[in-house]
Amino acid sequence: MNAPLNLINQPLLVMEAASLRLGRRHFGPYTLSLHAGERVAVLGPSGAGKSTLLKLAARELHHSAGHISLLGRDIRHYSLREMSRRRAVLAQTTHVAFGMQTELVVSLGRAALEMDPHLTTIVHSAMQLAHAAHLAGRNMDQLSGGEQARIHLARIFAQLWDIEHGLVMMDEPLAALDPGLQGELLDSMQSYAEARGHALLAILHDINQALHGFDRLLLVSDGQLKNQVNADLHALPALQSLYGIQLGSLVTPEGQAVVYHQKTPARPSRASYPSHLNS
Amino acid sequence: MQRFSGFIPRTDRGNAWPALSLAIITLASLLLASSVGAVPISWQDWLAPLHASHTGNSYVLWELRLPRTLLALLAGGMLGVAGALAQGLFRNPLADPGLLGVNSGAACAAALTIVFADSLPWAWPAGLRPWLLPLTAFGGALLVCLTLDRVARWVTPGSIAGLLLTGIALNAIAVAVLGLCTYLSTDEQLRSLSFWTLGSLAGASWIIAGIALTMLLMTYWQVRRLANAMNALALGEAAAAHVGIEVAALRTRTILMVALLVGAAVAWCGMISFVSLIAPHLVRTLHGADQRRVLPLSIFFGGLLLLVADTLARTLASPAEIPVGIFTALLGGPFFLMLLNQSRERIG
Repeated sequence: MNAPLNLINQPLLVMEAASLRLGRRHFGPYTLSLHAGERVAVLGPSGAGKSTLLKLAARELHHSAGHISLLGRDIRHYSLREMSRRRAVLAQTTHVAFGMQTELVVSLGRAALEMDPHLTTIVHSAMQLAHAAHLAGRNMDQLSGGEQARIHLARIFAQLWDIEHGLVMMDEPLAALDPGLQGELLDSMQSYAEARGHALLAILHDINQALHGFDRLLLVSDGQLKNQVNADLHALPALQSLYGIQLGSLVTPEGQAVVYHQKTPARPSRASYPSHLNS
Repeated sequence: MQRFSGFIPRTDRGNAWPALSLAIITLASLLLASSVGAVPISWQDWLAPLHASHTGNSYVLWELRLPRTLLALLAGGMLGVAGALAQGLFRNPLADPGLLGVNSGAACAAALTIVFADSLPWAWPAGLRPWLLPLTAFGGALLVCLTLDRVARWVTPGSIAGLLLTGIALNAIAVAVLGLCTYLSTDEQLRSLSFWTLGSLAGASWIIAGIALTMLLMTYWQVRRLANAMNALALGEAAAAHVGIEVAALRTRTILMVALLVGAAVAWCGMISFVSLIAPHLVRTLHGADQRRVLPLSIFFGGLLLLVADTLARTLASPAEIPVGIFTALLGGPFFLMLLNQSRERIG
């Protein structure tokens, strides 16, 4: 429980001009720092390099220039096992071969541990937190996409369950879920991270989710980190130029600000559709 | 070891019945299979070593049949676990070493050794001779495994169709090389070649069975340690690395084991197909996909499968003998088609 003080003051993740060349595309330089307990959303158009940014930080891809450190230590000096006790990654899609049981998949978050006396309890609690307790005992290949996403979320929870000041990275974690569940899972994700001081780094497509659940936005396009802004309505101009669209904002009767896409006459092809087809 | 046991509890923990019943079934089938055949065996023949009185029948039992049934169990176990490992490595139930051409690679190398080993300009040391065939078979199997690994990762990543097509190509090359060897071989070499390309356990001896048992015990020990990591590999390589598995090391070790097991099985028993496909599949159907069970149980299921096949091959047309490889292929072909039908959505 008593984390050394320097863990709290020291940034969790630091990227200094980290860059990478993949074929003909150049990504970076990315420069950013992330502190324990911070919630940061990565936004940007498709193919902008959001996933690459995440993969660099997760050491799934190796940066060719610059420097990336986790808790003050170069990530190249970590073993994969050490990395797995500091950061968890939820990929966009994960296909599990052979139709394994859900509890087994959740427990795989802790597969690198030699000794794990509390495994069963942790797997249970993680599944509960991910709203997946009712899926216990089922096989992965019988589950819907949304149900599988919950199991993988539970696996991420289990991985850093008993750790403080970890880093949870997610690539569009909520894409396969219906809106009601999205809200609930976002809440569990945040209470999970808050209780342990984990930082959240999540790629999102929904601007409203990013504004409500996160502290800071990283805006990525053309393989570059274009801007870092606080997650509030002052970010609107930057978001407009990021996506090249007009955004408007409303305040709901409950006092929550909501951002919406203003359809401008500049795009007549869309506007000419009957509204009920424009889904 | 701790990794194996410190993990999520299995439902049958503390219950010795599955292990005990497996041991009993294995022993019973070993005794049963040794008792049937062209030469009748009486209970006195079983006791022959005690009296040191070797009649013809007890000789058949102790020097021919017992080593053979034992080797059937062991070689089947080696093929079964090799299949489970390859399927785990390539993350697909269709990734059978036989279909992917690993058996053919081993067979090719071994056939080349049979035909050309004596015409080489140097003389082999006598001590090396009994190991020549297993060693070259291992080399051939390893070469194929490395090729497949490359294809699976770089050429057609993540597609079982790409792997199986590579298997077709490798198998075609193997058929050509085997044909060439047959064409160039002397009469005596031809007999040993054809006896051996069809797969047969008739070459069994106590020494071979002993080596096979040692190999299988070492494999079992390794497999227990790898099972957790193999489970994580089912998530895909990236996710396995994220949860802390050294994927590259795991791949290397798995490939070496598959090549060793298949190489040895091919060197001693020839081309026996489909045991490595069917055994892991049966285990997964009966006991679920947890590699901690699939890997060890595939040894038993593979062993029993080959023992049954060999006993049938020995007795159906007795006193003549059908090569066991023909028998397993007849059994395995339709089974493969059935599997293909089950997984048709996922191919491509």
